[in-house]
Amino acid sequence: MSEAIIQVNHLGKEFGSHSVLRDIDFSVYPQDVTSIIGPSGSGKSTLLRCINMLEIPSTGAILYHGTDITDRRVKVEAYRAKVGMVFQNFNLFNNKTVLGNCMAGQTRVLKKSREEAHRKAIFYLEKVGMAEYINAKPRQLSGGQKQRVAIARALAMEPEVLLFDEPTSALDPQMVGEVLQVMRQLVKEGLTMIIVTHEMAFARDVSKHVIFMTDGVIEEQGTPQTIFENPASDRTREFLGRFRNA
Amino acid sequence: MTSSIPADFFGRILYLLERYGMSFLRGAGVTMAIALVGTLIGCVIGFAVGVVQTIPVSKRDRLPRRILLKTVKVILSAYVEIFRGTPMMVQAMFIYYGSQTLFKINMSMWFAAYFIVSINTGAYMAETVRGGILSIDPGQTEGAKAIGMTHFQTMTSVILPQALRNIMPQIGNNLIINIKDTCVLSIIGTVELFFAAKGVAGTFYTYFEAFTIAMVIYFIMTFTCSRILRWAEHRMDGPDNYDLANLDTLTQTSGMYPFKKRRTGDE
Ligand SMILES: Nc1ncnc2c1ncn2[C@@H]1O[C@H](COP(=O)(O)OP(=O)(O)O)[C@@H](O)[C@H]1O
Ligand SMILES: [Mg+2]
Repeated sequence: MSEAIIQVNHLGKEFGSHSVLRDIDFSVYPQDVTSIIGPSGSGKSTLLRCINMLEIPSTGAILYHGTDITDRRVKVEAYRAKVGMVFQNFNLFNNKTVLGNCMAGQTRVLKKSREEAHRKAIFYLEKVGMAEYINAKPRQLSGGQKQRVAIARALAMEPEVLLFDEPTSALDPQMVGEVLQVMRQLVKEGLTMIIVTHEMAFARDVSKHVIFMTDGVIEEQGTPQTIFENPASDRTREFLGRFRNA
Repeated sequence: MTSSIPADFFGRILYLLERYGMSFLRGAGVTMAIALVGTLIGCVIGFAVGVVQTIPVSKRDRLPRRILLKTVKVILSAYVEIFRGTPMMVQAMFIYYGSQTLFKINMSMWFAAYFIVSINTGAYMAETVRGGILSIDPGQTEGAKAIGMTHFQTMTSVILPQALRNIMPQIGNNLIINIKDTCVLSIIGTVELFFAAKGVAGTFYTYFEAFTIAMVIYFIMTFTCSRILRWAEHRMDGPDNYDLANLDTLTQTSGMYPFKKRRTGDE
């Protein structure tokens, strides 16, 4: 197996005296799709935010191609340009058009020319089916459209890994499909992704690796077959059972 | 000479306008110039101070940087509190005469006038800008950080444009307050509209008439400015609807694009 892109080593996170993550350990290899599932409040978002350094881990290390990015000397901006993130609430720039959202990072962070940034922005907007909307402002779009633009904005940075934090949880049911379809396409193209999701069928279909979290720890991790068909832990079984009945 | 002054109110107003119209206009011009320049420089000061005061301090930062930032923030808050907490008229006396006695700086009256209004507006704007920045959804900052923007890039391309739009009403408010409040500068001898009106009023003892004219001119200036700013706000919002772009003209590229494994050289 090739070298891991991201290795999370004994990661811990505390907010004051409240311990939210304990001893988190896992690796992400090129072209892997890793899904993180678990009840709400179990620390999934915090873990993803730590991986993107939006939260600073309290203990442990996050290695990116072997370099510990929690080290103060590492330029966290350069790292974030390589490891993008898609949020539950989209977080599109409200002052910019769809096109502006997809160009800003390219011109300001990657220092690309406007022509190239424009071309790339259109390319990725086409991929998510939003190229027609380049002149629209975020407030003029539906939730599903916003999330697709947010994905295009992240893709336009041509990241090595893309993190998704419940990308469909803020969407009306009829819009979930359009976003999942875009994500399935990205899986097919071999993008490395870490996805926090409550879409169990989707996670089972696309994942190479599934991580089940409870109360700030990894209760169980393995292949989708193991986690979904034959989980070792009762808590995993109980959690998944709730979805079957739903 | 006084005998030539008409006896009725409108007659007197016309008489004053005819003979002293130019002094009123010159006074109004001075008032507008000081108010506009003062508001503009005040906004620049306000943005600079507001931005520095909202720089986040993180545990990752080195100690000297944290100490420097803390010191600068304390000094800036002192500036804001002092200039917001004292009357501009007293500041005018204090700065204009104080600079002469204390530091032997011979400030020109004009420099003092622009300086006082700018620094005073700056103190108010700093708080407005700080509030404007804090009121922007933290998700906007996270969205920017997540694509690798630095704090400075996040501010200039995402946060400040939105904060500026949100505080436009307060900027307008400040301009209007400045148009009115420049009259306190008459205390250091700035011949703005109030000073001009007082001069004209004293000559013929026509206080009511002279200040009627001043009232009308002040109102025209403030009302015009508030309308222009309202229009500017509307322009900043952009169009209410958007045109769908024609896909054929956008690009010829389409279809599958494999994510190649890129080697990263900078880590
Ligand atoms: N900024 C914060 N300060 C304090 N506690 C937090 C903060 N963010 C998250 N938490 C706590 O961390 C725990 C895990 O939250 P989160 O990572 O959002 O869980 P999940 O995404 O799995 O629902 C929760 O108990 C939450 O209250
Ligand atoms: Mg969450």
